Order: sequence, then C-alpha cells, then structure tokens
Amino acid sequence: MSNPILRIDGVTKNFGGHGVSVEALSRTDFNIERGEFVTLVGPSGCGKSTLLNLVSGLVEPSEGTIWYDGRRITGVNRQIGYVTQQHNLFPWRTLRDNVAFPLELAGVPLRERNAQADRWIKRVGLVGFEEAYPHQLSGGMRQRANIVRTLIYEPPIILMDEPFGPLDAQTRVSLQALLLSIWESQRSTVLFVTHDLTEAIGLADRVALMSARPGRMIRVDTVKIPRPRNIFFIHQNPEFRELHDNLWKDLAAQIHDGVPDQQ
Amino acid sequence: MTVSQTNNERSMEDARASIKARRAARLNAFGTSAFGVAVGRAVLVVVLLGIWQFGAGWLFDPFYFGTPLAVFEQLLKEIVDAGFYHDLGVTAVEMLAGFGIGAGGGIVLGVLLARWTYVANVVDPFLLALNSIPRIALAPMLIVWFGIDMASKIFLSATLVFFITFFNTLAGIRSVDQALCDVARVQGATDWQIFTKVMLPSASVWIMTGIKMSLPFALVGVIIGEFLVSSQGLGYRLNAYSTSYNTVGALSMIIIMMVIMMVLTSAVDRLEARLMRWRPTGRAGPTVQP
Repeated sequence: MSNPILRIDGVTKNFGGHGVSVEALSRTDFNIERGEFVTLVGPSGCGKSTLLNLVSGLVEPSEGTIWYDGRRITGVNRQIGYVTQQHNLFPWRTLRDNVAFPLELAGVPLRERNAQADRWIKRVGLVGFEEAYPHQLSGGMRQRANIVRTLIYEPPIILMDEPFGPLDAQTRVSLQALLLSIWESQRSTVLFVTHDLTEAIGLADRVALMSARPGRMIRVDTVKIPRPRNIFFIHQNPEFRELHDNLWKDLAAQIHDGVPDQQ
Repeated sequence: MTVSQTNNERSMEDARASIKARRAARLNAFGTSAFGVAVGRAVLVVVLLGIWQFGAGWLFDPFYFGTPLAVFEQLLKEIVDAGFYHDLGVTAVEMLAGFGIGAGGGIVLGVLLARWTYVANVVDPFLLALNSIPRIALAPMLIVWFGIDMASKIFLSATLVFFITFFNTLAGIRSVDQALCDVARVQGATDWQIFTKVMLPSASVWIMTGIKMSLPFALVGVIIGEFLVSSQGLGYRLNAYSTSYNTVGALSMIIIMMVIMMVLTSAVDRLEARLMRWRPTGRAGPTVQP
C-alpha cells in the first residue's frame, strides 16, 4: 500500500446560514502521493477553491477528514503552502521583503533571509527589482513573486489556486514553463487548481476533473507524457490531444449541466 | 488676382497663425512651469499686500486693519522680546502635550477596540455621543476641573485630537484586507505577528491621515483655552492685544500661528511621504471625518 502525503476522506463542505445552505463540496475522496503534481479542473463554482481552502486549514470541513502525512488537518499549517489567485503581496514591503517574509516569521536572521530571497528572485528572473514595491511590478512579476515566497520556505505540499489566471496567454505559458522547471528540480507535492485544460494536462502527473456544484471528483487521469516537458509545444503531443478531447467532453457536459433551462 | 499672389497671401496668413500659435504655446509652457507658477504667486502677494498697504486710510481704516509694514515692524519687535518666547514656549508645550495625549490615546484605543469587537459594539453609541459634544463647550468645565494653568489647555487640545485619530485608527484596522492576514497565517504567522506585521502597517495609511487631520486642531484647542482664562501663551498674547485694540499686535500673533502651523504641516507631510513611499499614487489617504 502506498502512503499518500495527503488524504481527503469523505469531505463535504456546506456554506451559508440564515436558512440558506449551499453544498460546495460533496463527499469527496482523493489521495495525493508524495512528490506528485496534481491538477484540479472543473466548471466555475464547482468547489475547487473550497477544496484548497480546506486542505490549507483556513476552512474546516462540514463532514469528513483531511489527513496530512497521517495527521488530521485542524488548522493552518506551515507544512502546506498556498499560492492564491490574487497576488496578495504586502504593498508596503519591497519585493525582497515580501519574498523573505515567511523566513522573517520563522526568525531567520536578516542577512540569511535576504540572501535566500535574492537567490529565488534571481531564479525567476526578477533581478533588479528587489527594492521595487508591488505596485511598481507587472502582473506577471507579481505572480512570480507570489509563487516564490511560498517556495522559499519549502512547504512539503504547495496548493496553487489558478495562479496564472489573471495573466495574459503568453505570460501564462512562460510562467508555466518556469514553474515546471523549478518543480522538476525540487519535486514538492503540488495541488494546482485551474479551469484551463491545456494547463491542467501540461503540468500534471494526474488530472482530477470535478463536477459542477456540489463538487465531486468525476474522473482522474494519469498524464503519461514524459518529463521534462516542453510546455510551449505540448499541444502537438498525441497523448495530450487524446486526453484533452476526453476531458473536454466530460467538462463540457458539466458546464452544460450548470446552465439552467438550456433550450 | 494671380495664383502666385493668392499663394503669397496664404503663406503670410500661415506665418501669422504660426507666430500666434507659438506665442500661445510659450505662454502655456510658462503657465505650467514651476517658474511660471512662482512668478504668479509673487505677483499675487505683491498685489494683495499693495492693496492692504496703500488702501489703508482710504479703502479701510488702519486702526482696525493695520498695515503690512506696521505688522512687519511689530513682528521684528516680537522676535527680540523675551516675553514672546515665553508665550511661544508655553503654547508649544501645551500643543505638543495635547497632541501627544490625544493622538497616543486615539491610536491605542482605536487599535484595542478594533481588536475587541464586543467592547467596541458596547461603547460605540457613547463614543458617538461624546464626539457630538461641541468641544468648545467643554472648555469652561475643563478649566473648572484642571485649573487655569496649562493642564486645562492640554486636555482641551487632546479631546479635539483624540477622536480624529481614534476613528481613523479604528477604521484603518477594520479595513485590513483579510486575504493578507490569511497569507501571513498560512506562512506561519502568530496572531501577534499578524498584528504587528500585517494589520499595523496596513492601517498606517489611515493612522497617518488621522495625525495629519488632527494636528491643526491641537493648536486650535490650546489657543481657545488660552483665550478663555490664562496668563501666558500665544492665545493670551493675542487676546491681550485685541482687547486693547492693538490690531497690529493681534495680526502679528495670527501670522505667527499661521507660520507655526505651516511648518508643522509640512514636516508631517514630509514624514508621511517618507513613511508611505510604498503607496502607488499621490499622498491622499483615506479620510474619515469624525
């Protein structure tokens, strides 16, 4: 038997109150292996982000349990990093101070944390912007900073909630390539939410497809495309095309179901 | 008329138009340059002071309005007078103490109540009620409670400053983006770290605005207090001059107060620009009128 780093066990999440209750996530089971890159796709509002909030410990499940490495997740946990869709950089901190922030929290001495931050800044091509404030950076630069400040404290699991969602298509592909190259050298466990199938297949070891609300896993596919991958030309890969077609059929059906009174 | 003549006239017209356009552009450039603005200001000052100086005795009675030269002479007399420096010192101490107590109390209580929602809900209407008291009406009571010395002026000044900084701090802490707190928490921040490293810096824009808005009121409180009952301070001096119909003396005091306020305001502006250099645009912060 394998020993998954993350076990999602019959998790349900209801939102609401005042007599109105919305089931965002319904009896979801899912396991993630150590070092795996899993992407989560599904129609908007299917509870993908809810699942990440639950795993991060920011939100508690209504039913069921989430296990990290055999321990029950009951609150936020430095073992689990979270890259949000909005960059959420601190506007009053420079790029370097934003990236070094998690180390500052942990009491790493100034000199050492700055050196580490600068290494990561260099790695994602932001040299020269160490002293810049977030409002002086482009959207792509901010998102790189957002990713790097999670990588810097090396949480074993990294959750990513559509980190490239707000970016233009070209910036997005180049950041996907950057993420892949970093991940291939580091191999932390990643759970990555997206609504973009190309991104989902291109990055992942496994793609999990969720149903429209209430969210549930409807299929999980293993992506057999060998690594390292060239994300720029992934669409030419026959394996990619086949999986894309299959997933798109099921995803389209979910999107269709979500629209009331079609015809 | 031949074709060439028409052409000629047309080119003359063009030339005239272009000269006009160039002249307009030059005027425009002057109007937007720092030098042009400075010249405009100098002209305005000269014109206004000229009207005041030369209109005296003709447009208005210098007994009531003085003249710029007389006020200037008076100012020269003041700045070599030991009594003036004593009064200036008294007012400065009262103002700084009032501002310090008011702003310090406002910020501390604002932070506490922002964190302590239950107490904030309980005391909310009472704070509103207290803030609704015209502070000037409180002045006689403050004199009864704290005496006619500096303490009553300090407290009058502090009550004016307190509510402005208090409400700004409260609003600032309450408007902190929850997402930023969540990010810090996920990265392992303790509650105290979230407070000091996320909430306070985030609220600093509002707190700074509170400080800027309340600063002039610190002086207002002191001067009014000194008006009512006192034997020292710039307000006392102003009052002494005006009640003896020494309008030139009174005007010179008003100018001194104006200069004090301008110096303080620009110092705070500079401090703000330095502390808030991470902000995207301008210097305008959020404002909450108490």
